[in-house]
Amino acid sequence: MQHGYWIRSKPIYHSLAWQYKAQAHVLLASGEGGRSVLRLYQQRLPDQPVTVLYLPAENEDYSAPLVTVVGTSLQVFPDARELWQRFDQVLQQSRMGTRLYAAGTESFLWQATTLAVKHGVLNADVMREQPASLARPVYCVHCKTTTHGVTTNIAVCAGCQRHLFVRDHFSRRLGAYMGLMIDAEDPGNVPDAEEVYP
Amino acid sequence: MSALNVIVSNIELVADGIRHFTFIAADGGELPGFSGGSHVVVSMPAGNRTYRNAYSLLSSPADRSNYQIAVRLQEQSRGGSRFMHEQVKVGTRLDISWPVNLFPISRVGHQHILVAGGIGITPFMSQVHDLLRTGAGFELHYAFRSPRHAGFIDQLKQLLGNKLVCHDQSQGQILDLHALLSRQPLGTHVYVCGPDGMVDALIATAHELGWPDAHIHNEEFLAPPVGEPFTIRLRQSQKNVDVGAEVSMLEAMEAAGVDVPYLCRGGACGRCELEVLATDGVIEHHDHYLSDAEKGAGKKIMPCVSRAKCSFIELNL
Repeated sequence: MQHGYWIRSKPIYHSLAWQYKAQAHVLLASGEGGRSVLRLYQQRLPDQPVTVLYLPAENEDYSAPLVTVVGTSLQVFPDARELWQRFDQVLQQSRMGTRLYAAGTESFLWQATTLAVKHGVLNADVMREQPASLARPVYCVHCKTTTHGVTTNIAVCAGCQRHLFVRDHFSRRLGAYMGLMIDAEDPGNVPDAEEVYP
Repeated sequence: MSALNVIVSNIELVADGIRHFTFIAADGGELPGFSGGSHVVVSMPAGNRTYRNAYSLLSSPADRSNYQIAVRLQEQSRGGSRFMHEQVKVGTRLDISWPVNLFPISRVGHQHILVAGGIGITPFMSQVHDLLRTGAGFELHYAFRSPRHAGFIDQLKQLLGNKLVCHDQSQGQILDLHALLSRQPLGTHVYVCGPDGMVDALIATAHELGWPDAHIHNEEFLAPPVGEPFTIRLRQSQKNVDVGAEVSMLEAMEAAGVDVPYLCRGGACGRCELEVLATDGVIEHHDHYLSDAEKGAGKKIMPCVSRAKCSFIELNL
């Protein structure tokens, strides 16, 4: 675990807030992110059309209150593939001035951002909130696999099974933290993993 | 700063009050390459003072045999545009800076809307070549007072076809910025160059519609405004420099032999930023570079266009 230093690339997340100067608003949320959408709806609503795309997670399903609060602007998806497909269509049809908001796990936030970037949106212009888990997407610098939902400072790569040290160094293009082999110089000497991103 | 030595090889009047100059390298070779949107600073030795103004390069960046600029005779010229119109002839030798680009086309943009007002067409003349070459989607909106004021219009029509949209005010064709900016797909970037009112209106409209700042680009080179005389105290070089009413701080320091860094000389690039240590008056910020907070703090000044209303200002130089 790394203490007492800070890397510029480490993203800092804030609470979502409406950007009132806009032509439209598109909100994307998964799991606990549903609560972020409900919180956003406690602020004064914008005048422009709003679209909310929601992907419930196991034990984190805010569909019922979202239906009540958001109403017909809400679309709930049974699986991630359909959500991303729909988001792609929405981006395709959107005009400049469409404000984008995302709330969910860090993997989800950056999947949403990466898709928006493909449509010419700059990553700084997607508003992101990380409402619950600090679990990280980790990119293995050796085999280039991204392992999602890492909660520990050392994690096993889902691609090559190496033990990776999880750094704060973050790639906005890959949407993941850098992970590098911890026992490269001393094979087999792997410290105990500690849960630091619960 | 090393200069390029060029010779004026052609001069044409392309619109009311706008002269088009072609430069070739004095040594007959190729000139340095540049990218669309670049400008050069032309040094104009007029009597006992030297004017240096930034002008956009107009030609295709693929053609390094010559550079082209257009100069509009400013009604309230401090001397630069008048010098170019009255003193410069075919065969005149001039020193110009290497090209610098403060107005490039965004490489991550998916679509580009270029908006020119009058002489503001100049930076787009080279950009359209880059855009045509890369095949990027774009439109050029050209607003002018009348066909008489529309420099390069025939050349642009031939080059761009239906990518050129003209707004001829004499025909009552007013550019509807709100309509233009509200119908653009995600990933569009907008670029504007023209009179202050037009630039301000476009930026305000884009903000109102929710365009992020990073998608809005403008280039505006200012001429240093006149003011009242005052004195610059230079802390490090232990010199005092008097600034006349019609001379910029940068020009005054140069005339006194002080080496001050600069690029655009028009308040846009930020290269000449200096630290203000003290003053007994107020700074008159004219640049487009410092943020409002920085201007308010009064610790920085861009000597190319800004000045002070004071008896002295002390700079860390």
